[in-house]
Parts: sequence; structure tokens; C-alpha cells
Amino acid sequence: MQEVVVLGVGMHRFGKTGDAIVGNKSVTELCRAAVDMALKDAGVSWRQIEAVSAASSRFSGGKGWGLNGNDIVEDLGCTGIPVFNLSAGCAAGGNAFNVGYSMVAGGMYDMVLVVGGEVMPKGMIQTSGVEDINDPEFLRQRCVGMPGPAFWATLARRRMHDHGTTEAQLARVTVKARKCAVGNPYARFQKEVSIDEVLASPYVSDPLRLFEICPVSNGAAAAVICSAAMARRFTRKPVTVATSTVATIGFDDALPRSLAGPVPSGASFHTEAKAAVMRAFERAGIGPREVSFTELQDNTCYYELAFPEEWGLCEPGEAEHLVEAGETAPSGRMPINPSGGFVSFGEATTAMGVFQIAELTWQLRGEAGARQVPGARVGLAQTNGLGGNATAAILKR
Amino acid sequence: MSELREPCVPGLFTEEEGGRLLGARCRSCGTPYFPAPSHCRNPACAGSELVAEAFGGAGTLWSYSVANFAPPAPHKFDAPFRPYVIGVVDLDAGLRVVGQMLGAASEMRVGARVELVIDPISHEDGKAFTSWKFRLA
Ligand SMILES: [Zn+2]
Repeated sequence: MQEVVVLGVGMHRFGKTGDAIVGNKSVTELCRAAVDMALKDAGVSWRQIEAVSAASSRFSGGKGWGLNGNDIVEDLGCTGIPVFNLSAGCAAGGNAFNVGYSMVAGGMYDMVLVVGGEVMPKGMIQTSGVEDINDPEFLRQRCVGMPGPAFWATLARRRMHDHGTTEAQLARVTVKARKCAVGNPYARFQKEVSIDEVLASPYVSDPLRLFEICPVSNGAAAAVICSAAMARRFTRKPVTVATSTVATIGFDDALPRSLAGPVPSGASFHTEAKAAVMRAFERAGIGPREVSFTELQDNTCYYELAFPEEWGLCEPGEAEHLVEAGETAPSGRMPINPSGGFVSFGEATTAMGVFQIAELTWQLRGEAGARQVPGARVGLAQTNGLGGNATAAILKR
Repeated sequence: MSELREPCVPGLFTEEEGGRLLGARCRSCGTPYFPAPSHCRNPACAGSELVAEAFGGAGTLWSYSVANFAPPAPHKFDAPFRPYVIGVVDLDAGLRVVGQMLGAASEMRVGARVELVIDPISHEDGKAFTSWKFRLA
């Protein structure tokens, strides 16, 4: 195995179609901006890239086949390099990073571009794109009508029952997230919100409110990764990829993802996310208490409370207290989503795994400005996506 | 009232015995399924032995949420949209099922006893399209 490093990262600020940030830019234009920035950051020319690992979008570009990596290569100039288009729902960016990492670690290529971008349709994501009675996602939407926010709200309601979590505590997570995003030039929302404003926002799916759920966004992120040996020619301070992992759900996963499943004997949680993160700790030889900060998939505030406990970053039932004590802020003892997270960026679905790699890199270089985690040494990233997909990555300096 | 009732998706459930989901259970490992798969999916199961089983009756509300806004297609609903509660119910038969709840969010609580019923979710061409739902017992 070769050691793998992140040489350069780039991002297009997140926004919404028609706004002053992204206007009517296509997904390929957004990706182009992120890639140009990553190449410049790395000090690498396009002709030095040996392979592309791209997230496949269901919503934009890719010739309707998720060939988003091919669109990017055509735009940058065809050099004949291999392109891998990875589909994993909202975990696709994380999968693309994993495949890029694995190829460099395995010695297949020395210099790989990882990229993800989206132009999202308005409103709630239509999870099932087909009217097929053999598709469980179609049956769930036709027979019940349970969009993503209702799934998250169900988990949040259960946590309120198990841990006595209050609506004010959920709102505090958003207040913290939006505070982090102030001064983050890539965040869609860069203004603080008060707890009263969060609690005055309408329910999208009771008990979760508009400001507690990430909207969809347009945006893109890119990373240039390479072998540590080659990196010496470009930089003296690369960020090391301690590991990158991918997992899917276990048969014992009891979350209400489909129509029905066996009643579990134990707790119900995201088995795919936990498996990816636990495998990352094991492979990297880094424990949860050695993590300086975490970028996790906060489609809703609930995850900032549940995930840290499920992964051993803190004790079960402790998360609400940590949020209230300010310990999940960048200066706290368990910083979560110093970027501002999905709640401040909105979700450009397949870009998110790469977005996290960019934030981890800036944090570990000490370039994160007002949201900088003091003395950040180890960063953990995690995504999950439809189909029971999850990814994790640990970066260190 | 002689409203014509039709399942929103055919073959998944029946109105008999107060409403039943047409699923299956593996005789070899005991895993319950809805809808019925073609074979047992338990990776620890040595030999798939599926037998048809109809699930219904009583259960416990594991958690619930509210669709405060109309879900996107392919969901269908009667206009104007009225928010509804979505329950996750642990049936006594060992199956955890999602379904709409009859009743308002203010009436719900985690741990409540509920029962499965068949009820319309939308109307079209003079027909009521039904699905399974739960109501507080
Ligand atoms: Zn079996």
C-alpha cells in the first residue's frame, strides 16, 4: 500500500438555482470551478492527472447516465485517462473519494482527481424516480408517502422519547451550525440565526423545522490526491489520508427505510454509518477520542446528537449537554461540523463527500479562518446515502 | 356509502380479517417479510423456507412523524393537502411496518398501542384508493 495524501482542494460556493451565487450555472461549470481551484491549490496541471473518480448525479449532467466524470474530462480537455463514475445516493462523493484513494493506495495511479457536483431540482428530493412495483422505494412513497424529512423526524422523535431531547436542544444545533458558517466563504447561508428564529420556523416534518433540515443546494467540490512519494515534488506539508472506508447496511439494521423489517432485539441506528466509521478507526489505528473534529452528514440536527454517541466520540445521552455547553463548536472539546455542515450549505447531494474532504484539508492546514478548530490534527468525515450506503475518511497532518 | 375501493398497489394487502399485509416468514430462521421476497434474505440463514403469512392486528408505536407538506410524486393525495401522521409500528407478530396513522399528531405518543386497518389514501375517477394504516387502539 502506498501512503496517500491530499495535495489540493477546491469548491464552488453553494447556492440555489437563480440566486446571485450559482445563477444558472450547469453542474459541469460548477465542477470546473472547483477542479480549477483544486489543481491550482495542488500546483498540478490537468495533463498530470492520471485518472478521475467522480460522483454520479441522478439530477444533473452526466448525459442522463450519471457520466458526470466524463462531462468534466470533456470540459477540461480529453487526455484519454480512465474515468470512474460512482453512484451511491448522497454517499457518492464519499465513494468517489474512496475509489480514488484505493487506486492510489494500491499503486494503480499516482495522481487522481476526485470530484462531485450538483444542480438540484427544487423542493423535497423525490426518492423514487420510477413507477415500478418491484421497487420498495416506489411502494413506500405510493402506499405511505414518507419523504426524507419524515424519516429523519421519526428518528428525532424516538430520541426525544429515549433521551428526553427537547425541541430547544435540537434548535441549538442549528444555532451552532449557522454560527460556524459565518465567514465561511463557501457556505450558502452565512448569517447567524437565533434560537427563537429556529423555533419560529415552520415544521417540515414535526418535530423537525425548516431551519433544522438541510435544503437542497447547487455546488461542487474537488480534491487532487496523490501518493506521498510523488507529493514531495509539490509540497512539504501535505495532508495525509489515514484511511477511507465504505460500508453498507447490515441485515440487522432496524431503521424504517423500506416498508417493513423484523422488530430488532436491540437499538435501532444507522448500521452502515457506524460500520464505515468503526472500520475507519480500525484501519487508521486512530480511536474516537483522538479525533480533533468531525464533519458528519447532518441532513438534520438530529444526526449531530446521535452519530457522535453511536461512534464513541462521546457517551450515550451526553450529546445534548455537549451542544448546550458549546463543546461541539470549533473551540469545544468535540467539534462537530465546523464548516457549518449541511444545515448551512444545503445538500448538493453527490458533492458532499468531497466537500467534507476539502473542509478537513483546510482545517488540518490551519486555513479555516474564523471557524478554525485550534490545533486540529485529525479529522473524521462521514456520509450516508440512499440504498444503505455510507463512507468515512480520516485525514491527519 | 357505496364507494368503490381499490388497493393503491394490487396484491400487497387484503381487507379480510380487518386488514392484513400479505407477507411471508422464513420457517428456517423465523425472519418475517413484507412484501414477500422470492427467498429468505438473512445472510445467516442456512436454508430459505418461505411460507406465506398475513400480518395485521395489534402493535406498538415505535415512533412517528408528520408530513407537514405534501410529499413529492409518486405519492398521491386528495387536494387540498392535509398533513398526516406517519407511524413506525412494531406489530406483535414481530414485523416493524411504516404506515399512515389515523388521527392527529397531538393524539400520538411513542409506545401507544395501535392496530392495522385498510383505509383510503386518495380518490380518483370515482374510486377510493386504499392502503394500510394504523389507528390508536
Ligand atoms: Zn431464513
